[in-house]
Amino acid sequence: MGVKHTVAIDAETLAGKRFAYQEDISLIEDIDLMELTPGKDLNWLEDIHLLVEDGTPAVFDRNSNSFLKIYFDIPEGRGDEIARKVLMKHLISGNSYGIQLKEKHCKFHQVELGPWVADSKSVGDNWVPPVLDGWEPPLH
Amino acid sequence: MASVNTKSGVVYDARGLVEPDPEPPMTAEIDGDSAVIDATDLTTRKINLELKRIVYDEGVNNVTIVNPGSKHSLGVGILKRCNITFEGSPGWYACGLIDGPEVQINGRVGWSLAENMMSGSVVVEGPAGSLTGAALRGGDLVIKGNVGARTGIDQKGGTIIALGSAGINTGFMMQRGRQIICGDVNDGLGDSMYDGVIYVGGKIASLGVDCVPGEMTEEDHEFINRKFEIYDLGTPPELQKFECGKVLHNYDALEPSERKLVL
Repeated sequence: MGVKHTVAIDAETLAGKRFAYQEDISLIEDIDLMELTPGKDLNWLEDIHLLVEDGTPAVFDRNSNSFLKIYFDIPEGRGDEIARKVLMKHLISGNSYGIQLKEKHCKFHQVELGPWVADSKSVGDNWVPPVLDGWEPPLH
Repeated sequence: MASVNTKSGVVYDARGLVEPDPEPPMTAEIDGDSAVIDATDLTTRKINLELKRIVYDEGVNNVTIVNPGSKHSLGVGILKRCNITFEGSPGWYACGLIDGPEVQINGRVGWSLAENMMSGSVVVEGPAGSLTGAALRGGDLVIKGNVGARTGIDQKGGTIIALGSAGINTGFMMQRGRQIICGDVNDGLGDSMYDGVIYVGGKIASLGVDCVPGEMTEEDHEFINRKFEIYDLGTPPELQKFECGKVLHNYDALEPSERKLVL
């Protein structure tokens, strides 16, 4: 399905495509939220709730400052749970635009996919500042 | 770069900037999945370099830092799930900007503990200074003693629990998240808060602008009991709930990008 561009910035606009788990609930049902979060409850996911953006159910991805819209029917009473599962699927898949920016722009060491994925590769160790073609440092 | 030697043999930048040597000291004692760092003769940067080396490069998941000596900015910027224990007291800005670690501090801490924490938990056995949990984004921050002024200033998520009392302007400009203060709070509770919830067990000197009493619900009790059980804090006291009166609540009039700043 094509990407509808709106005034707001949403995840699929940033990515240039819509992801399958935005449209198919079966792709996120097996996400174990407790396993993916520190401690003995949902920890930071406790602050993640089902919201609405452009009239569509959505979850906010703070890594890319964008909304991730949800197009499938959400079972009654499971709004927050589904929002959290869609978000975590988005993050552990590395599809968040904020995660994709790390490879090129991260200036300090960090794990690419974030703390929710064990053994994620490191980024930011060898960052060099970009230099414009033809630019030379001033003599003084 | 100008540098000076100290009695301990540690070299500092003479201008008061960072430790000029960027190499980790390689002094941690690693035993399988656990490691111990003795911070006695190490500068802040060396301690943090060693901590990051063993967590990121060596894959160690349980780190104990002994003799932190109230040095500032210890354990900052750890973006990986692991367990970190401080045997002693770190200073200011401990465990700031972390995303994932579960931290146990067997001591007290200075101001700005866990500022900007994204996820994980920090448990302090003693008291904490002012600005505890400043700009907290997520995770749990548990202080078993008192906390200072402006606890949870600009808090945007997560949970702060203090078993003791709190200073002035607790929850100042709070935007989301939850605070449980079991003791008394000083003047200006929840001043200019835009959202979030504050539970208080003791006396309140005065409420801040747009902070109003709320009604406890089943969800509130479930949340409080769950957190007290997880962190083995005993039975929660009788708590009063405070929330935003929404007189200042006008996000809908703002640009979409500004609205996102508080999500």
